[in-house]
Amino acid sequence: MIKITNLNKVFNQNTKKEFYALKDINIKIQTSSCVILKGVSGSGKSTLLSILGALSKPSSGDVIIHEDSIAKLPDLHSSAFRARNLGFIFQSYNLFNELNVEENISIPLVPLGFNQKEINEKVEFALKLANIEHKKDETVSNLSGGEKQRTAIARALVNNPDIILCDEPTANLDSVNSLKFIDVMRKLKELNKTIIIATHDPIFDNLDFVDDIINIKDGYILE
Amino acid sequence: MRTSTFLNFLFLLIYKHKSKHIAISLISILIVFLISSVLFISSSIQKEVFQTLDAQSDFVVQKINSGKIVNTPNYWIDDFRDINGISNIQERVYGQYFFEPSKKYFTIVGIDLFEEATNKNINLLLKKLNISEFLSKDSMIIGNGVNEVFKKFHYFDDYSFKLHNREVKKVSIFKSLPKDANIIANDLIIMDIFLAKKILNIQEDESTDIVLNVPNELEQSNIKIELILKHLDIRVIQKDDIKKAYENLYNYKGGIFLILFIIVMITFGLILYQRYTMISSSDKKEIGILRAVGWSIKDVIKLKISETFIIAFISFLIGVIIAYIYVYFLNAPILSNIFLGFGNLENRVSYTPNIDFSTIITLFLFFIIPFISAVLIPTWKIAVIEPSESMK
Amino acid sequence: MDIFLNNILLSNEIIVFLFTQVILLILLSISFFYSLSIIKNWDYSKTTQEQYKLEKRSYLVILIISFTMIIKIFLLPYFTYSIDILSHIVPGAMCAAGVIGANDYGQPLLSFKVILLFFIGTWMILNTLDLKEKTYPYTKKKFYFFILIFVLVIIETTLDILYLTNISTEEPVLCCSIIFGASSTGTQIPFNLNIPMLLVIFYLLYFLSIFVNVQKNPYLNIIVNTLFIYISYYAVTYFFGTYIYELPTHQCPFCMLQHEYNYIGYFIWGSLFLGVFFAFAYSMLKLLINKSLAYTLKYSLIFNTLFVFICTFYTLRFYFLNGVFL
Repeated sequence: MIKITNLNKVFNQNTKKEFYALKDINIKIQTSSCVILKGVSGSGKSTLLSILGALSKPSSGDVIIHEDSIAKLPDLHSSAFRARNLGFIFQSYNLFNELNVEENISIPLVPLGFNQKEINEKVEFALKLANIEHKKDETVSNLSGGEKQRTAIARALVNNPDIILCDEPTANLDSVNSLKFIDVMRKLKELNKTIIIATHDPIFDNLDFVDDIINIKDGYILE
Repeated sequence: MRTSTFLNFLFLLIYKHKSKHIAISLISILIVFLISSVLFISSSIQKEVFQTLDAQSDFVVQKINSGKIVNTPNYWIDDFRDINGISNIQERVYGQYFFEPSKKYFTIVGIDLFEEATNKNINLLLKKLNISEFLSKDSMIIGNGVNEVFKKFHYFDDYSFKLHNREVKKVSIFKSLPKDANIIANDLIIMDIFLAKKILNIQEDESTDIVLNVPNELEQSNIKIELILKHLDIRVIQKDDIKKAYENLYNYKGGIFLILFIIVMITFGLILYQRYTMISSSDKKEIGILRAVGWSIKDVIKLKISETFIIAFISFLIGVIIAYIYVYFLNAPILSNIFLGFGNLENRVSYTPNIDFSTIITLFLFFIIPFISAVLIPTWKIAVIEPSESMK
Repeated sequence: MDIFLNNILLSNEIIVFLFTQVILLILLSISFFYSLSIIKNWDYSKTTQEQYKLEKRSYLVILIISFTMIIKIFLLPYFTYSIDILSHIVPGAMCAAGVIGANDYGQPLLSFKVILLFFIGTWMILNTLDLKEKTYPYTKKKFYFFILIFVLVIIETTLDILYLTNISTEEPVLCCSIIFGASSTGTQIPFNLNIPMLLVIFYLLYFLSIFVNVQKNPYLNIIVNTLFIYISYYAVTYFFGTYIYELPTHQCPFCMLQHEYNYIGYFIWGSLFLGVFFAFAYSMLKLLINKSLAYTLKYSLIFNTLFVFICTFYTLRFYFLNGVFL
């Protein structure tokens, strides 16, 4: 269970450029559910997602995941939490372009203390799940948009996280690849993962496996 | 994190980003090369000088007149023979001869071919010499540098020395010393002692100075006092003092060099600091990705510092190896002149390897520590950037 | 100007050594300034931008201190080696022991360096403990401790410069056989002990240190281990060392670091320093943050025992090989 209580995020506090990105957010997300954060660009959904993913820290309020307060964790602990429990899929894939697919996927595992054999096993698992096994030795710069996305998905899955966070995943994909992406998400839902997708793509509006849609505008939750 | 997987990833990254590191590598290699060469050359010269010095006698006695060194009277030898503990007293004859055609000086050394010399090197030379043939006419043995000059001016078999009384003395060239005999021996001419005295205008009952050995080390300071007491106008030089003076001189010269290099290293450090602070946006993005997928700040710093260390280490190795080849195989073409002076004869010298592990360690410390220190702060700066910022 | 051109300062190794010390001092000064703001404003419960910035700064200080520690550990034997090289131009000195005695700063400097390493090592352990907790509870204490270390480093570097600029290349120094009294063994050992008494106290202190280790009182641990390292220095120099060199008049703590003796000196001094260090770390941590770290006591025991074992081994080996004691 993910609980967000009284979350606020201010940028450039006490200066002329002060900007309230998130105002008093309170959300409860059930385990193994799939939730869509819906809102236009600038509504604050990406900021909310990065705070959820322990990538940035809130100005006030808390995020509690599985009874652990993670909003204020210092870096060593928040990154350990991220490495073990979260998988992040970004809008612009954010891959190492000079490395190949397999190497990119193994990156999250390096600081976790696995030996090479264990890493290879987990990478195999992720490759199969994201359906990109046939391209595992291909350098990322040579891949198509959809293949890059699948590589990013595989990387997010390699450490078998409980929670998957996606930030505008279909923004750079065509409709065919968007549908493929949704298929993967469905598979993940079947594996009982908690999935949170921040998007304004209407393709997510009427999906069968989506449990909840949360609308965000100007940093507020719309009821 | 597991070391083996970390290292795998580290080397993978370095390999894929080769071009990023080229500029710094080249500058590093150049700096390491220069400083290693300087160190190698000076330690080789030092070793040679000390070897030669060791072969010298323990004491040199000279006569002083109004502050200047003058020729020593030979009857002093008998005076000194009385002192207990002295072995091997000998007169020495040597001096400079001005060679007009190339406007350079040769050093002439006179040897008494029938007495055992106190100088071990000369003894070795004498053993191999066919003395009767040498003495059948006025002959000389010349160093490699002298040989080259004579050849240049077409003196192939002999040369006529100009004496002080406008007479000429023709001396034939018996043989020349091999090139790698000695840096010291380069501009040397060795001849019979009486011949040398004639050419250098020294009276028969005089010599340039007197040398003697004192085998028992503990007696040396006592004997020095006794020597000084024998005559008023005497100057006594002890081998140990010369050794110390040379060592100080080397430290001095070497030290000045090193201080210059400190300035080089500081500049290099600033360059490094600049270069690592202004990293490209793709670099920033990569670090953002690492942090986003679960790498902690500590892990990222560890990665970046290790990367820098490996680049520095490899550059260091390459620089040292090139320096080694340059000094010991190619004989250091341009740098040599800085050390041995342009004024000397065209020195075609060859260096003998004389480096030990500790010199390399000193070099390594001198290079690596400022290097890594300069990149500590820039590395930290980029490692702590918020991932969301760096991935925009 | 004269003082800078003196020949000690111009030996390659000393230049590199001082250069490194200065670099470390500069880095630590930067850390010092950051530490001040951390100590003043650190409050884990706050979620402001300021607090996050302080957290990031603390990582820089940790990085610099870790780097300093590694370098200083390496600099200690390098310093000894550089001093040894200087024995060629310091009249009368035949090895590092003579050069250290060239002025009054030498011995205190060397002891100070070891103590400094103890402090830095303890700081590293404190840091590890701090980072393991989710709330970084010991941060303020950690940085106060760092300020202390910074002051110690300034003192150490000052002592370095004072020592190195006061070595005379004119006046002869005593070489080890006189310092360590080949002919007058009794006068150099503290409290005018003779060798057998020294040995008795040495072993007594060792067993006492085991007892205190088990008993876990921090004050007793520090006191006993300090006495132990103090007496061990003399025991090794005047007794055990002679069995390593197999010469009753060769009483020198430095020569055993050379390759002629298989570098055993590093093991001997290393295990002694580590054993005492861990006892020291245990006591400091217990007093600072009231945490009782069992593993430090364990290591202290292991290394002290190793040290005593190596020393005793050389003595017994000589006896069994030769049938007599020296």
